[in-house]
Amino acid sequence: MPILECTGLTRRFGALVAVDAVDMAVEPGEIRAVIGPNGAGKSTLFNVITGVLAPSAGRARFMDETITGLPVEQVAQKGIARTFQLTHLFPELSARDNARIAAQARLPGRMKLIGGASVIAQSVERAEQALDRLHLSRFADVPANMLSHGDQRLLEIAMAVAQAPRLLMLDEPTQGLSIEETDRAVEILREMLADGDLTVILVEHDMEVVFKLAHRITVLHQGRVIADDVPEKVKANDEVQRAYLGGFE
Amino acid sequence: MNWKTGFVITAFVACLVPLVSPNYMMTVIIEALIFGLFAMSLDLLVGYTRLYSFGHVAAYGLGAYTSALLLLHFNLPLPIAIILAVAISMAIATPIAWVCTRTHGVSFAMLTLAFAQLGYAILYGFKDFTGGSNGLAGIPRPEGPFGLDFFQSKIGYFYMVLFCLLGSYLLCRALVNSPFGAVLAGIRENEPKTAALGYNTRAYKRIVAIAAYGFGALAGALYAPFAGFASPELFFWLISGTVLIMVIVGGSGTLIGPIIGGVFFLMLENQLSEVTSLWPLIFGSIFIAFVMFAPQGIWGLLTARFTKPPVQPGSDRDGEAARAHS
Repeated sequence: MPILECTGLTRRFGALVAVDAVDMAVEPGEIRAVIGPNGAGKSTLFNVITGVLAPSAGRARFMDETITGLPVEQVAQKGIARTFQLTHLFPELSARDNARIAAQARLPGRMKLIGGASVIAQSVERAEQALDRLHLSRFADVPANMLSHGDQRLLEIAMAVAQAPRLLMLDEPTQGLSIEETDRAVEILREMLADGDLTVILVEHDMEVVFKLAHRITVLHQGRVIADDVPEKVKANDEVQRAYLGGFE
Repeated sequence: MNWKTGFVITAFVACLVPLVSPNYMMTVIIEALIFGLFAMSLDLLVGYTRLYSFGHVAAYGLGAYTSALLLLHFNLPLPIAIILAVAISMAIATPIAWVCTRTHGVSFAMLTLAFAQLGYAILYGFKDFTGGSNGLAGIPRPEGPFGLDFFQSKIGYFYMVLFCLLGSYLLCRALVNSPFGAVLAGIRENEPKTAALGYNTRAYKRIVAIAAYGFGALAGALYAPFAGFASPELFFWLISGTVLIMVIVGGSGTLIGPIIGGVFFLMLENQLSEVTSLWPLIFGSIFIAFVMFAPQGIWGLLTARFTKPPVQPGSDRDGEAARAHS
């Protein structure tokens, strides 16, 4: 049974149909890439699934529960963690505190007004594990805005991991990274995902990254799904080649 | 020195103040401590959540008038009246916080200002009850419970105010260091991200606004029985600005800084207003100087001397960290 299932998911902005009747099913443990040219609707799809935007039609079900229409924090509480295309961090807090606030988000004592030492200890522990998984431990005490762009991207992923999600949604994790930084990020991501305990949906422009990481690829073009298959078949698909890949080998 | 030692030493020294201070100074000192408490309550919003309230005077006025009315009409023991006044003010603050926290930034500032002005208007609208522009005079300080009456003397009142200030500081400190406080920091730094992590940010903002109202109301509830009267001045919008300046000059986001800011300004005003009518000009100049040259405030300046700056990888001044980073 799929962990996430979108049926006819649609989002219009006036006359523009940014996401057009998208059907997509993601299985547990799968790493799914969503690709497509700029403006294909990838980020809008993310925003509709995570509750940032309300859908105009259709619905998304997560672990057999309808999540469309829920506010963003409740979608997160169901166990969906995401990163943003433009890095979203707590700039003046240390990397550890960034991850700690993320880790605390789904702990029962998160709203403790006074005390809560055990909640804090537990979230610090989870935060440090997450930083470790993303190779950021040595920057734990460094304010987020002092990190390099590449490490900031990784920190945002660490925050998502610290949330202990069932589904991790990464919006262009290598966006703006140099070739070396991208290689390093992909290595770290690959290592992190090797356990197979996470289901991932990944929006990515860099085809090398996609073919290195993804089990299955959904191709969006002008809001519509034009292909949904394993990487080899997507690569061989004529329509995809015309719309997007432009002869990538 | 850890903070506990510092706290105990400060509390001890503060307890000795009445022994060395001339009696006429005690009035100013008590008012200064009350204002320090008031400024600290605003810091919960401004410094920790980056919610700029331009109407925090409403908390002060609400506490002052509620305690005044309770004491005048029910002759309750003073401590009971103060506690009740805080509880009632927090109850009134609940719907206000519910509305205000739907917004942020400038809209939040304007809404809080509007609610404070509403309170000001209500004072004039219900003259029979509030005394209108005359205010309420002759507020008693009834003794009890358990025959307590130490607060009927000025020195005794000083200790009660000091106790409230230190207790409030400990509570606020626990609040900002709790799991709840960590979320406030998240909201301050990046509210959309905090919501995306799964926090209902509005609920957190509501609670911190109600808490800030509670501590602000405590300051007001301490002031009215001390002064013996409550006037609409206690609801005047200018005080909201003054206390905001005290928070910023003292050092926002530190709790201690705003206390120092409040105490410092009230003492300075008292001393200077006796020798010059240009006092507001000096007040303004100090504010401008701090914003331009020391945005971290008085407390920031004091602590900067004792703490090392954070490691800044990538900065030219910190070669070692930069190397570790590459």
